[in-house]
Amino acid sequence: MKIRVFLADDHPLTRAGLRDYIAKEKDLELVGEAGDGLEAWRVIEKERPDVALLDIRMPGENGVALARRIKESSLPVRAVMLTSFDAQQYVMASLRAGARGYVLKTVTPEELARAIRVVARGGLYLDGEVARSMEDGESAYEALSAREREVLLHAARGLSSKEIAGVLIISERTVQTHLASIYDKLGARNKTEAMLLALKYGIVALEELIE
Amino acid sequence: MRRHLLILLTVAIMIPSFSALLLGGAGLIQHERAMERVARSYVVDIAESFASRLDLSWSRTRSFPFGDRERFMRLRQLTWGLSMPGWVAVVDRQGNILLSTGDSNVLPLLWERGIPIGSALEVESREGEKFTLAVYPAGETGWYVVAAVSWDKLLGPMLRFNRWPLLVGLVGLLGLLSVLALWKWLVAPLRALGTEVSTLHLGRDIPKGDDPGAVHEIRRLRVVLQQLARGAVERAELMKRYVGDIVRVQEEERSRIARELHDGPLQDVTALIHQIRLAKMEERELGEAPQRLENAEEGARHAVNDMRALCDELSPPWLDLGLSQALDELAERLSRQLGVKITVEAGIEEELPPEVTLAFFRVVQESVHNSVRHGGATAVNVRFQRVGEEVLLEVTDDGAGFDPPEDFEELRVRGHRGLANMSERMSLIGGRLEVTSLPGAGTLVRCAWRFTSSSA
Repeated sequence: MKIRVFLADDHPLTRAGLRDYIAKEKDLELVGEAGDGLEAWRVIEKERPDVALLDIRMPGENGVALARRIKESSLPVRAVMLTSFDAQQYVMASLRAGARGYVLKTVTPEELARAIRVVARGGLYLDGEVARSMEDGESAYEALSAREREVLLHAARGLSSKEIAGVLIISERTVQTHLASIYDKLGARNKTEAMLLALKYGIVALEELIE
Repeated sequence: MRRHLLILLTVAIMIPSFSALLLGGAGLIQHERAMERVARSYVVDIAESFASRLDLSWSRTRSFPFGDRERFMRLRQLTWGLSMPGWVAVVDRQGNILLSTGDSNVLPLLWERGIPIGSALEVESREGEKFTLAVYPAGETGWYVVAAVSWDKLLGPMLRFNRWPLLVGLVGLLGLLSVLALWKWLVAPLRALGTEVSTLHLGRDIPKGDDPGAVHEIRRLRVVLQQLARGAVERAELMKRYVGDIVRVQEEERSRIARELHDGPLQDVTALIHQIRLAKMEERELGEAPQRLENAEEGARHAVNDMRALCDELSPPWLDLGLSQALDELAERLSRQLGVKITVEAGIEEELPPEVTLAFFRVVQESVHNSVRHGGATAVNVRFQRVGEEVLLEVTDDGAGFDPPEDFEELRVRGHRGLANMSERMSLIGGRLEVTSLPGAGTLVRCAWRFTSSSA
């Protein structure tokens, strides 16, 4: 059975190229296209594709909001952001909104096909160019304590150190200490990297992130 | 030596009044001495002439010349033409007064002292009245004539020497009062004005327009000064608005260019890459080596990366995510780009106005660059929190530190615009920026912005 794919992008030329990318793959089928957010939502509701490729910047409704709407309506559609924004913060924002993948538009046809397949199977796919820490490499890490995992999870959900301190009823300083220890154990340089690595290693499940 | 106004005024008041007083005093003393001399010769003359008349009369009658009945008349005769502010008396050897024209009750007291005969001297009565007095023997009669001049009657009570200290004190007091008045109305207001002018920040402060306790000239000066300061404030306000407009237009333009770049050329070239890749795949199916397409793709990818970098530099699209996340992103990028460890502690969830977000963002961007470029820092901490009604941003580093100038404009003059620009950014949104640093002790950049000041 073919994976049913939907594509939303306001740039016709980009859409044409990506359409052809998908057409090259035998196991993928493009079931719909849209040039703005509102039209995209109508097609998604109607067609219920397996995977929806969503541009972040679109007229009508942006891709992140669209991913959140899909998640909230419990449609069996998995969103993959397809964008030219190479910011890790967009990756985190997209994942929190329920997206399963984040791919840059400069992606190769092979990578795009792989991303669609991984996400369709229920996995997580992040572009190596934006989430450098997700690239294959040494995957040795030290196990986190239950408390550290909790701190990291709250951080990944977008809470500030102060708010985490409030939720866990510990001091802000302790939160900072936990975070420093987490970076150390995972080999991360900052919070976003730590969160992405935790996802990669399966320390934190994607579902746990969702707002 | 510095010539202080108060000292000058005090001297200007005190010197003339005291010299006038001294001169007056000296004149008075001289006058008194002259009077004394005159009084002496006067009493001696009177006593002598009286005594000689008495003697003459004695040699004629050999008896006391004044019978009871004619005593008064004779005395008038004797003293005819004698208009003196004193008295004349005739006494016998024992000091008994035989005849007197006035109040001579001072005599018995004097008599006991053994007064020299024929010369004048000054004596004082029990009541403190001063006299110049001369005693003369009246020939063979064995009597003495005493003539006296009363100083009180001669000079009048006003010019008596013993009131002098009171007069000096009075003049001194008046001088002091004048100095006090000058201090209150002139010197103190002038000093206050001087302090105010020297600490006046032209273009920001407006000094008081009046000082009711000052002299008219100072009040006029204040009015003029206030007008000048008002003008300066208006000009500064205009300048600030002008600079604000420039910054705003610049930022708007940057963000417009970034958006255009992102939505136009960046998308176009991305689409071009897709086409090249598809062409490559087709070529490969035909068995041809797609080297030229490979090159074209390489070039197009370069163009995409350059344009993305340009977009980020002009106006990062991820600023839309809010300040906390934008700072996280900035930290990640700068730490990679500059090789410095950057930690971000952000504790603000409230949405800030876009221009405030942008101002804080630019300050952090500039601070981190400064820390690395000028301070050689290896670690930078960015702390962003809400304290009461204020949003506080602190950027600390472990760099070399420096001696921050009082006024950032100094640095601008020397070609370092960074700090002045940061400070201006904050002032444009109604916030403030301060830099604390010491050579060898790192640098702290602190910015604050009040929620209520958002109307700016």
